[in-house]
Amino acid sequence: MATAGDVGTDLVALMDAQAHRGSDSTGFAIYGIPREHGYVVRAMGFDRAMLGKDLEDFRYILKEHGADFLESPTWDNSVAKHYSVRMVISDPVDLSRWSAEADELCTRIEVQSVGRSLEIIKDDGDARTVADKHHVRGMIGTHGLGHARLATESAVRPNASHPFWARPFADVAIVHNGQITDYYNWRRRLERGGYRFLTQNDSELIAVWVSDQIKHGLTLQQALSASIKQIDGVFTYMIADVNGIGFAKDRFAIKPLVTIQSGGAFCAATEEQALRRVYPRGAKIINYDGPAQTGIWGLNARELAA
Amino acid sequence: MSEITIDVGERGIREINEDIQEAAKHYHTIIVRDTLSRHNLGIGLPKGVDIRFEGSVGYYCGGLNNGARISIENDAGWGAGEGMAAGHIAIGGYAGMSAGAAMVGGTIHVRGDAGPRIGVAMKGGNIIVEGKIGAQAGFMSHAGKIIALGGAGPSCADALWQGEVWIAGDIESLGVDAVVKEPTQEEVAEVDQILEPLGLADSSRNWRRIISGQRLWYFESRDANAWLMI
Repeated sequence: MATAGDVGTDLVALMDAQAHRGSDSTGFAIYGIPREHGYVVRAMGFDRAMLGKDLEDFRYILKEHGADFLESPTWDNSVAKHYSVRMVISDPVDLSRWSAEADELCTRIEVQSVGRSLEIIKDDGDARTVADKHHVRGMIGTHGLGHARLATESAVRPNASHPFWARPFADVAIVHNGQITDYYNWRRRLERGGYRFLTQNDSELIAVWVSDQIKHGLTLQQALSASIKQIDGVFTYMIADVNGIGFAKDRFAIKPLVTIQSGGAFCAATEEQALRRVYPRGAKIINYDGPAQTGIWGLNARELAA
Repeated sequence: MSEITIDVGERGIREINEDIQEAAKHYHTIIVRDTLSRHNLGIGLPKGVDIRFEGSVGYYCGGLNNGARISIENDAGWGAGEGMAAGHIAIGGYAGMSAGAAMVGGTIHVRGDAGPRIGVAMKGGNIIVEGKIGAQAGFMSHAGKIIALGGAGPSCADALWQGEVWIAGDIESLGVDAVVKEPTQEEVAEVDQILEPLGLADSSRNWRRIISGQRLWYFESRDANAWLMI
């Protein structure tokens, strides 16, 4: 059993130290202690004036799939037009089918994560702005991911931020630094397999790509290795589930990754200076600068990645 | 007084570098503490100053060095000494990706290993690595020498131009258009002369000198074999 700790606080520190990499938007994926039944759903609505109606319609679809809210939904109190809502739901009969139908409302309310443990929080602005708005520092968990985004080839919108949920695979999330150059080829293939993508962001694709490989029999390690050979582009990505975090780096070694391990905890980040926010001195840094590298960090201790 | 200490911590990098530049006008030795792996420390330093960074530094430390003697106690992040023109940078531990990129002069001495693409597009100077150098070392280097005492990773000396990569130890694989040449005694003596001031000269080393095969310099674009090289 992994030990839960102040993952939210540490992830905010890591992302704040890397805010210069891009502050169009910031996001966090936090893995709390897994529920035995029911899912936590994080979603974003695009018109606060429609919040009541959005939730009513969302609940209607949920009930059609044999589920309902287990707790009253909660949402942020900002004045922004978009809103973020947290829901706890009972188990739909078929999670994938429910997810597909819930996505029919995605122009009004978009599901951003579903998990026994996973909660994805993302919004416009830098780490401090997003953390303050969504109370990320108070979140307790076993591990998590963070991301600061400089938009390059897709829109600056709060829902285009990382991390991405591997729709419809519960509890799988990804952060990615890089660019996938055969994005549309892979997207078309995956869409033919029944998958849906709600953004034009290449990172959303990798999460589904890896999960689909695992669905078809590969281990996570095999899927990570396969991604280096089959996906074209420059990238370092980290993909997480309830059991830990995996990473893969492309064959050209363009994007950095550094890690630190200290006192039973573990941290990974793009920049060493971010790790030094959490561990100012002492602990040894390990650089993953080389090409075509993969790895998995399991949950023997509280672990973080940013 | 010839020595001053500057603390980094969470202060702004521009402010720290202004402090360092000002100190360089009045002091011979500058000690920089509490570096916390911050980026862009000690950029464009002049000749005549001796600066020591305690701990590790982030990206581009010592970039555009113009003659200073820079010492980094532990590791350096990506691009240490990028674009340097003169001076000496000593890195006590590991040097991250692209150390010495596009440098035109001076010396970088790495006591540990170095990451990929060390000396990429360098146009002069020397880089000495006591450990192993990472993938694509010397990629498209135009001049100068990269000397690694602990071997080299894959695609060593990829697309090299007129630079040279000298390896003592194993080479995982050679890059495109890289050719291993048996060095002459005069050439080995020249390398030992570079290593001598660092206390690293050793006549028993089995050197491999890697230079460009020049097949990428001028080639017939309709020649399929030329394209297959890449």
